[in-house]
Amino acid sequence: MSLRSLKTGNPEAGDVLWSPHDSAARRSLSLCAAGAVLGLVIAGIGLFTAKGTRTSVVPAEDVALVNQVPLLMSDYLVQLRALYDVSLSEATPEQKKKVLNDMIHEELYVQRGVELGMQSDTIEVRAALAGAVEAQVAADAAMAQPAESELLAYYDAHTGQYASEGILELEDYLIAPQSRLQPPAVAAALRHGANPAQLDLIRTATMKDGEEFYFAAKIHLDDALYEAATRLQSGEVSEPLRLADGIHILVVKQNTHPVPRSYAEVRDKVLQDYIAEQVKLLAAGNDRFLRKRADIAVARGFE
Amino acid sequence: MPFQRPRSRTNAAISAVLAIAVLAIASVALVLHVQQQRRGEALLRADPDRVLASPALRRTAIDIGRPAFVRECAGCHGPRGGGDRLRSTPDLRDGEYLYGSGKPDEIEQIVLYGIRAGFSRGKNLASMPAYGRAEPYAGEPIPPLGPAGIADVTQFVLSLSGRSTDPEAAARGRAIYQGAGGCYDCHSGDGRGDPGIGAPNLADAVWLYGDGSARSIAQSITYGRAGTCPAFVTRITPLQARAIAIYVASLSQDRQS
Repeated sequence: MSLRSLKTGNPEAGDVLWSPHDSAARRSLSLCAAGAVLGLVIAGIGLFTAKGTRTSVVPAEDVALVNQVPLLMSDYLVQLRALYDVSLSEATPEQKKKVLNDMIHEELYVQRGVELGMQSDTIEVRAALAGAVEAQVAADAAMAQPAESELLAYYDAHTGQYASEGILELEDYLIAPQSRLQPPAVAAALRHGANPAQLDLIRTATMKDGEEFYFAAKIHLDDALYEAATRLQSGEVSEPLRLADGIHILVVKQNTHPVPRSYAEVRDKVLQDYIAEQVKLLAAGNDRFLRKRADIAVARGFE
Repeated sequence: MPFQRPRSRTNAAISAVLAIAVLAIASVALVLHVQQQRRGEALLRADPDRVLASPALRRTAIDIGRPAFVRECAGCHGPRGGGDRLRSTPDLRDGEYLYGSGKPDEIEQIVLYGIRAGFSRGKNLASMPAYGRAEPYAGEPIPPLGPAGIADVTQFVLSLSGRSTDPEAAARGRAIYQGAGGCYDCHSGDGRGDPGIGAPNLADAVWLYGDGSARSIAQSITYGRAGTCPAFVTRITPLQARAIAIYVASLSQDRQS
């Protein structure tokens, strides 16, 4: 029994598989053809518009393709602006040509550099590549903008980091070696408003310029004096402090302790630090990943 | 007796109508898709500076740019680009630009590569040193200032907009500004800033951080500033980046007009 006789159930129908005189056969072929055409159209659209697909047609976002590597239109515009301070429509044909030629030249040389293995041989290229990969990691971290709640949690966990800088203003006195007064008595007299000049006290040159931030005071004062000074309140006089160069007494005019700054005041810093921490984490993860997948053989004795 | 499907002319007609309708819808969708793609290509090929002057391109840019802006940028800049004073994100409608002069291609670069976002093509050149810290600037050695020096520079900055309350302090501040402090290097000698590196104009009434009071200026000098804007180059298409840039440029243009 032929195919046609099977289809029609008529054993007398003959052995013809397809006949142009049969309307059903014509319709089925037409539908097949329409389906094929539609499929080709869809495939064509997909092929020529898919992201990453490169054809001889230069995509609209690019100004040229060099060995299928796109030169971005946005870079071209930036170059026009940087070289001639003109927009696309203001640029002369010569200016456009110059910029495009420069970009093509650069791309060709980059590609040639890769062919020649410059990334293995040239220190500057290696440093630039390593830096670019690290920067890419940083960019990925920066891209993920944290939620406000995450920033607040970070701020709460690092409040000390966002404190104001303390300010100290003090007078540092040395008891004169020839003084007959007992140091505790001198300190007590100062607390009662005595004139330092009448107490055989010599003012040191330290912190004579008035207010200083804590970090500067720490540099200018001896560690012991700094510790003592920051513990005192404004208007207080220290106990006598015996150091290598003699006995010191500090008169603290003003001590503004560091205080936490509000979240609103430091939000930009919090965001910056938060992202920096994320970058550090991502970079460490990236480093681990690269080491894990790499085949690293270290010579004996250099492990 | 085998089941026989009734065949009628009505059924054939319905089938034909359905087939034609499906084909018509597919054709219309295809035409619209192609048209949209052509409009996108025209936008990408056009001079960004001229797009706002062309009603068709402008409409295309804003149709694509506005939803992309709301999705990607509104979290910081607000759904209408008005910024957020509390978070020190700039108002994009006021025609004041920290970087560049608001040209769409300049905005597009920021959309693509960000500000201090880790891309070498982005805006990363400088940030405001923290003069009240032991090491004010990571990039190069800059001497810190004391509280008195900061107060003097604050008075000088106020004097640039005619608001100084202590001319002698302002004179001392000028010496620091133009000398050891190195402030002139970014903000220029007359305090009018440098949009090439994002150094703000200190002589106008626009303040990104704080309200321009002596206190908020002193805070910026003491603790520094370094705002960021993420890079979207790997997140959005070139067409969306262009469209967002045009949309942002249109915000200030619309307001001015």
